[in-house]
Amino acid sequence: MENHSIVIPTKDKMLNLGEFSLKRPGNMITAVILVVGFVLTVIRFTQGIGSITNLDDNAPWGMWIGFDLLCGVCLAAGGYFTTVACYVMGMKHFHSAVRPAITTAFLGYAFVVFALLYDLGHPLRLPYMFFFPGTTSVLFEVGLCVATYLTVLFIEFSVAPMEWLSQKFPFLIKWRKIVVRCTIILTIFGVCLSTLHQSSLGSLYLIAPGKLHPLWYSPFLPMFFFVSSMAAGASMVIFEGMWAHKGVHHYMDATHLREADEVVFSFSKAAAFILISYFMLKFIDMLVQANLPYLCTGYGAWWLVEMLGFVLLPALLYAKGSRDRNVSLCRLASCNAVLGIVLNRFNVSMIAFNYNIPAAERYVPSIWEVCISIFVVTLIVTVYRFIVYHMPVLYEHPNFKDAH
Amino acid sequence: MRNSKTLLRTAASVVVGAACLLLGAGVALADEGSSAGPAALTMFPVSEKANPANANMKPVIFNHAIHEGKVEDCTTCHHTGDPVACTTCHTVEGKAEGNYITLERAMHATNIKKRPEDEVTPQSCVSCHEARYKENRQCAGCHAIVKPQRNAQWCATCHNADVTPAEMAKGRADKYTLDVRGELAQRTLKKSTPVELLSPLDGPLTVYIDELSDKYEGNRFNHRRHVASLMDRIKDSKLAAAFHNNPETLCATCHHRSPLSKTPPKCGSCHSKEINPAAPERPTLKAAYHLQCMGCHDGMNVARPLKTSCVTCHKVKTAE
Amino acid sequence: MNRRKFLTILGSAGVVSALGTAKVAKASATHTFPYYDNSYGVLHDTSRCIGCRSCEEACNKINNLPKPDRPFDDLSVMDKKRRTSAYQWTVVNKYEVGGKEVFRKTQCFHCNDPACASACFAKCFSKQPDGSVAYDGSQCVGCRYCMIACPFYVPGFEYDEAFDPLVQKCTFCETTRLQKGLLPACVEACPVDALTFGRRGDLIKLARKRIADNPGKYVDYIYGEHDAGGTAWMVLAPAPNAEAAIPTANPIDAGHTFEKIGLDTHLGNRPMGEYTYGALGTVPMIIAFWPLLFGGAYAMTKRREAMHKAETESVIKTAKEDVATAMDAAVRTIEQNQGQQAADEARKAMVEALKAREASKAEEHGAHGEGK
Repeated sequence: MENHSIVIPTKDKMLNLGEFSLKRPGNMITAVILVVGFVLTVIRFTQGIGSITNLDDNAPWGMWIGFDLLCGVCLAAGGYFTTVACYVMGMKHFHSAVRPAITTAFLGYAFVVFALLYDLGHPLRLPYMFFFPGTTSVLFEVGLCVATYLTVLFIEFSVAPMEWLSQKFPFLIKWRKIVVRCTIILTIFGVCLSTLHQSSLGSLYLIAPGKLHPLWYSPFLPMFFFVSSMAAGASMVIFEGMWAHKGVHHYMDATHLREADEVVFSFSKAAAFILISYFMLKFIDMLVQANLPYLCTGYGAWWLVEMLGFVLLPALLYAKGSRDRNVSLCRLASCNAVLGIVLNRFNVSMIAFNYNIPAAERYVPSIWEVCISIFVVTLIVTVYRFIVYHMPVLYEHPNFKDAH
Repeated sequence: MRNSKTLLRTAASVVVGAACLLLGAGVALADEGSSAGPAALTMFPVSEKANPANANMKPVIFNHAIHEGKVEDCTTCHHTGDPVACTTCHTVEGKAEGNYITLERAMHATNIKKRPEDEVTPQSCVSCHEARYKENRQCAGCHAIVKPQRNAQWCATCHNADVTPAEMAKGRADKYTLDVRGELAQRTLKKSTPVELLSPLDGPLTVYIDELSDKYEGNRFNHRRHVASLMDRIKDSKLAAAFHNNPETLCATCHHRSPLSKTPPKCGSCHSKEINPAAPERPTLKAAYHLQCMGCHDGMNVARPLKTSCVTCHKVKTAE
Repeated sequence: MNRRKFLTILGSAGVVSALGTAKVAKASATHTFPYYDNSYGVLHDTSRCIGCRSCEEACNKINNLPKPDRPFDDLSVMDKKRRTSAYQWTVVNKYEVGGKEVFRKTQCFHCNDPACASACFAKCFSKQPDGSVAYDGSQCVGCRYCMIACPFYVPGFEYDEAFDPLVQKCTFCETTRLQKGLLPACVEACPVDALTFGRRGDLIKLARKRIADNPGKYVDYIYGEHDAGGTAWMVLAPAPNAEAAIPTANPIDAGHTFEKIGLDTHLGNRPMGEYTYGALGTVPMIIAFWPLLFGGAYAMTKRREAMHKAETESVIKTAKEDVATAMDAAVRTIEQNQGQQAADEARKAMVEALKAREASKAEEHGAHGEGK
C-alpha cells in the first residue's frame, strides 16, 4: 500500500492533533505569535485603530490593506490558476496540485476577510454593502466578487472536509458527489470572479491619479493587477509546494510526489511567459504615458528595481529552470516572483502612493501592524496544517480513489 | 535721422526761445530751465481723412515742460528715439509707420506688451499715469481701493482744449506749426482756474464706528487726522492736482460709488449687515470697513496695525 | 435689508427653490448641464484672506468639535502646513506668492460629482441639491476608501475612537445652518468677506467680474469651476506681482500660482469617479464573455480527449487483431511442424501470457492515476 505512512483519520479517531503538541521550534514560534496577535487583537478592538497603527488621514490604507488584502488576494490566485489549467485546459497531470491550491486559495481569501475586519472602522457593518450597494464604487465590485468567490472556493474546497467527515456522517458522501459534479461550472464561475476582482483591486487606485506616482498609475492598472495575479498564482503553487515538501512531506502520497516536479516545471514555464508579457505591458505603458523622464528620479530607480529585479529576473530564472528541469532554480524563481508581487502591491498601495507628500508626513507601518499581518499569516499556516493533518489534500483518500 | 534730429532740436529751441520772449513769464519753464522741448501745446487728432469718424474729442492740452521733468529721458514717450510728434506715426486711423496703432490706443492703452530688455517698451499717457499712482506710496493707498472711473469727466480732464471748429479742422489736417499749437494751448490755460479742495476741517473730527459691535467694541476713527495726512502727502503732486479736479475727489476713496458731496451717505446705506441676495458681490458692512481700512493701509505699506490684531483698533467687549 | 428679511428670502425661496430646480434637473436627466448652477457654493478670494482663523473658530464652535491645544488667536500654528481632520473641518494655511503672504482656507470643496460618493460602497455620501456633499455615518463601514479617493485630502477619520469611528468632514453647515436659512458659520465669521456665499452660477459670474474689474490683481482662473468636475467651493488667487498686471492669460502662470497656494492643478476637468467607470464598464463584458471563452476551451479539451480516446481504442483494436492473426499463424505453423497437441499447448500458453501482460499493464495504469 503506497499510502501506508500517512495517518488517515478513521471513524474512531477523527482528530490528529499530535503534530501541534510536538516540542518543535515551529510550534513554539507559532504559539508566541498567536499569543501576541491575540493581545493586539484585544487592544485593537477596545482602543481603536489608532492605538496600534500609524495610519493617518493622508494614509488611510496601510499595511493591512497593502499586504493582507492586496497581497493576500493576489497570492491566493493559485486557486483559479490551477483549476483552470487542470479542468478547463485538460492538463490532467496537474490534478494532484489542485486540492492544495484550492485549500490555500480558500484559506487566503477567508483570512483576507478576517484581516479586513481589523482594518474596518465598523467591522460588523461589512454586510451593509449589500443593503446599501454603492454601485459606482470599485470597492463594491471587489467586495461582491470576493464574497461570491469565497463561497465558490468554500464549495470547491468542501470536498476535502466532506471526505474526512463522511467517516462519521455518511450522508456527506451524497453531498460530495453533487459538488464533484459541479466542478467545471464552479471552475468557470471562479475564473470569472477572479478576473473581476483581481483586476478591480488595481481599479481601486484609478480614482486617485494625483496621489499615485505616474510610473505606477495607469489606466491599465486593472490589467496589470490581473496579469500579475496569474503569475502570482503560478508562483504561489510552486512556493507553497516548496514549503509543504519541507513541513508536511509525510502527508503526500506517491502520486503527488511523482507529479510534483512536473507541476513545478509546467508552472514555471507558464509563469515565465506571463512575467515576460507583464514586463512588456508595463514597459510599453511607461513609454506610451511618456514617463521616461521619471526614470531618472529616485522613484524611477525604484521602478527599475521592481521591473528588472522582481519581474524580469524571475521570468528569466523560471525560463532557465524549466528548460534545465532544475527544481531548485524554479523554486528560487518562485520566491523572487512572490517577493516581486508583494513589492508591486506595496509600491502601489504605500510606497508610490502619496508620493507628493513631504517625507516626514509619509506613512510607515508600525511594528504592531506588521505583527498583526504576521499573526494572520501564522493563522493561515496553522489552519493549513490542521487541514493537511486531517483531510485528503496532499493525498487521495482510499475510499474515494476512483471517484474522479 | 541724425540730421533731422539735430535739425528738429534746433528748430525746437528756436521755438522755445520765441515762446519765452512772446509769453514773457514762461510759466511752465520755471521748473525745468534746461529744457529743449516745447512748453504747453495743443495736440490735435491728426487724421488723413477730411472728416474722420471717432475724432470728435476735444484736443488735449499737453504740458510738455512739466512731463519732461518727470520722466527718465525722451525715449519714455518718444519710444523710437526720434523726438517727432506722436501723430507722425499714430493717426486716428493708424498707419504703417505706427504699426497701425491708432492715436487713441497710443494715448490710452494699458495692456502694452513688455518688450525685450534691449528695446524700449512704449507707454501711453494712461499707462504711465497708472504706473505712477501704483508706485508712489502716497497715491497707492487710495488707488489700491479706487480706480479712476472712466467717465466723461475723466476724459475731460485732458480733452479740454478750447478750439473753434475751423481750428479743429485745420488741426486735424496737421496744418499748424508747433508755436501756433502752443499759442492755442495758452488761450485755454489762461481761462482755467484751480480747484478749491475741501479742507480736513470740513469733515468731522472723529467718527465712532460701532454699528456692529459684538465681540469687540467699535472703533473711534480719527477722520480729520486721516484726511489731513492724505492731503499733506500729495500736496506737491501735479498729477494729483490735475486729476483730483473736484473739491470732493479725495473723499471719494472711502465714500465711493455715491455722488460727490460734502456730506456723503454712511457706509451702512449700501453695505448691509447681512449679505444682500440681490447683490451678493457687495461686501457686508463688517467686510466693507475692514477691506477699506486694510486695503488703504496695505497699499500705503503701513505696517501697523497687524491685520489680524483685532485689539489694536477694537477694545474687547467686557461682559455686562 | 435686515437679518430677518434675508433669512426669509434665503430660507424659503432660496433653499426650497434650489431643491425644486435640482429635482427637476434630475428628472430630466441632464445633470451634466448646466451643472448645479442653482445649487449653493462659496467663493474664496484668497487675495482678501488675512489669516485670522475666525472661520476655524466658528466652525469649531458650531460643530461642537473638541477644543484645540492652542487657541484660535495663536497664529503661529500656521507656520506649519495643516490639513483637515476629523476634529478640524476647516484650516487656514499660509503660503507665499511673489514674496507676499497669501492665506488659503481649506475645507470640503463639495464637488459637483464627488469622488468620495463615487468611491463609497455603502452609499454614505450624497450630493445634495443645495450643493453640499452630505455624509451619513449610520451606514459607514469605516473602510476609508473615500479618503483615498478625495483629491483634496479632506475627509478625516476618528482613529482614536474604538466603537463608533466615523469619517468626518465639513458639512457646509447644511443641517445646522443652511436649512434654517443661515450662512455657513465660517462665511458669517469672516471679517473681510474673503468667503462669499451664493448660487454657484452667480459666484462664477461674480468671480469673472472681480477678475475683469481688477486687472492685475487676480490670476485669471477660477479654481473649482471645472477642476475635478467642478466644485461648490471655488478659489481665486492673487496675481503673483504687478508685472502680471498685463493680462497674459497664460494658463501655466495661473497654474503656478495655484500650485503655490497648495491646490492641485492637474486634477483635470472630469469628476474623479469617471476614472474608474471604464474599468467598471468591463464587468458585464467579462461576465458575458469569460464563461463563453472558458466553456469553449473546456469543450475543446473534452473533444480532444474523446478523439484521443477513440484513436487509442482503434489502435488497440488493430493491435489486438494483429496479435490474434499472428497467434493463429504461429499456432498453424506449430500444428504443421509438431502436431495438434503441441499446437493446443502453445495456444493456451500464449493466451495466458497475453492475459498476464494486460493485467500488469492495467495495474500500472491504475497506479499512475490516469484512469480518473
